[in-house]
Amino acid sequence: MSTFLQLFLRSLETGGIFALAALGIIIIYRTNNLIHFAQGTMGMFNTYVVTFFFTTVGAPLWLAVICGLVSATLSGAVVDFVIIRNAKKVTASGKEIITLGLIMIFLGITPMLFGVDPLSLPKFIPTGSVSFFGAAISYNGMLNIIIGLAIMGFLFYLLQKTKLGLAIRTTASNEYTARLMGVPTRSVTLFAWALAAILGCLAGVMIAPTTSVTLNLMDSVQVNAFIACVLGGFQTFYGPVLGAYIIGVLKNLLIYYVSSVWGEQILYLLIIVFIVFKPWGLIGKKTIKKV
Amino acid sequence: MASKIMGTGAGKTLQQNGRKTILHNPYFQFVLFGVIIACVPLLSSAGILRSSYITLVGSVLIYSVAAMGLNLLFGYSGLISLGTAGFMGLAAYMSAYLTSNLGLPFELSLVISIAVPVIIGILIGLASLRMEGLYLAIVTLCVSEVLRKTFEELEVFTNGFSGKTAAYPKILGFLQLNRDTTYVLLVVALVIIMILTYNLVNGQTGRAFHAMRGSVVAAQAMGVNLLKYRLLAFALATAYASLSGVLYVHFIKYTYPSTWTMGMSLNILAVIVIGGLRSIYGTILGAAIVFIIPDLLLKQIPVLGQINGFSYIFSGVLIICVIMFYPNGLIKVFPELAGLFRKKKGKGESNG
Repeated sequence: MSTFLQLFLRSLETGGIFALAALGIIIIYRTNNLIHFAQGTMGMFNTYVVTFFFTTVGAPLWLAVICGLVSATLSGAVVDFVIIRNAKKVTASGKEIITLGLIMIFLGITPMLFGVDPLSLPKFIPTGSVSFFGAAISYNGMLNIIIGLAIMGFLFYLLQKTKLGLAIRTTASNEYTARLMGVPTRSVTLFAWALAAILGCLAGVMIAPTTSVTLNLMDSVQVNAFIACVLGGFQTFYGPVLGAYIIGVLKNLLIYYVSSVWGEQILYLLIIVFIVFKPWGLIGKKTIKKV
Repeated sequence: MASKIMGTGAGKTLQQNGRKTILHNPYFQFVLFGVIIACVPLLSSAGILRSSYITLVGSVLIYSVAAMGLNLLFGYSGLISLGTAGFMGLAAYMSAYLTSNLGLPFELSLVISIAVPVIIGILIGLASLRMEGLYLAIVTLCVSEVLRKTFEELEVFTNGFSGKTAAYPKILGFLQLNRDTTYVLLVVALVIIMILTYNLVNGQTGRAFHAMRGSVVAAQAMGVNLLKYRLLAFALATAYASLSGVLYVHFIKYTYPSTWTMGMSLNILAVIVIGGLRSIYGTILGAAIVFIIPDLLLKQIPVLGQINGFSYIFSGVLIICVIMFYPNGLIKVFPELAGLFRKKKGKGESNG
């Protein structure tokens, strides 16, 4: 039982990281109607910025993270301002190609600025752990869980209760009508891109201590965030978050009980089978296109 | 043709028809293109080109084959596949395993190495193509992650990180090829693929693809079975990618897990976007731009060219610019230039 509880607590941590990344993807999907493939790569880039400020400049970790968040905001805003805003005439799949092009640009810029050697980023709280009913979790893990939940709680409050949230939801449901109604959709999109980049950066900073900071840092997070969106459905904001936590639990269970090497791959295959039976996700419903 | 003659441009069309020689026959053009490309080994043995260019041009031809398949998929049905590199790698490893470890003849191994990825591709397509296009991208991303892990971990089959080797192919059991003749084999394969693609997009299937591209709903109303044709496009893309993987492993002779990553899939996508969607020559032009220019030109630039990843930035920026400002691809530069030229000439004549 204590093993299971331990796995569950750790899943909350990984699930939270996936949920942050998935939220970034879904916010872009809902407001811009495109899949943001570069979410993970931009998160990776901004994690490099954090690592750079921490190791090379020598700033304390919290300051480095703030620098990373600023750079994330800037990079998200620049992408929207320079590219997406000027690509109104491009088809939907064309815009997805643009985000794929962004992946290539960030993959190229990162080693150019920060070198090719793998770097490392420490945990916020290096040592210590608490135990619940025999299951131990490190202080840092606790912190990640709490930060993740707090950010998501804040975002859902923002989406549901504030004027900005209303603007985002209106843009998500129909951009054209939203503009007619006086919603400043341009600022909403700009905000969405910056927010997505911030969420990606946070996910990167949380995952970085478990591995080393390389170009592939976010690959697995990215894929998991995508399948969390598929699992939860693309139609709601909370569906992917729910999906992310389910993926986190399933992944750790598969890795612990089935195979440490193939656990994650089995999960991907299970998701593909899941699509066959429930193509619109757990919460999503079929969208009908009108001609 | 008859219907073309009616209308305003009648005189011009007639004139063109009259001038139509064997040079305008597309099949002849494909073969001629092949013959010209096949001369590279001759030029290098004559000392005009460096011999390393054979490998470079050869790999461009290989990537062109894979890109041609992706062009069918993305260009016509707008579906994005991120699994190109995964399928190429699978076919490459399979062919290397079948010929080196099991000693099967090249032809048989070629057929098996194409058939298995295609079957996997059809299964994936059945799972993901019933929904909107975005699902195929995500599912193929998952599959390529699974395949990449397989290449790294399944050491009996792939030899893990140290990579797998293969020999130059032996055709019909007695004709052992070397580097130059394998290069010719690549050219032959590419020309066959070009002719096949040309026939496909100009035949009944191509009509259905065109209809799908124009409007999915209209195509369905005209009786085009959406799932069937999307599945066909994806299966073809997988088959082309597999063929390209087999050619790769028998030409380059090594395959490593690090080759078949997301970056490779993105490069192949860059090829078709930059070169030109739905264009056969555009695909080859795109492959040349994406794979030759970084190698030949960018490395010559001092400081910047020495840094890893500069070629990625080059392709990435080019993709975004082409999509935003020149969505038909760089191959359209030539007809537009010719048009400009003709206009000027026409003006000059009317003035004179």
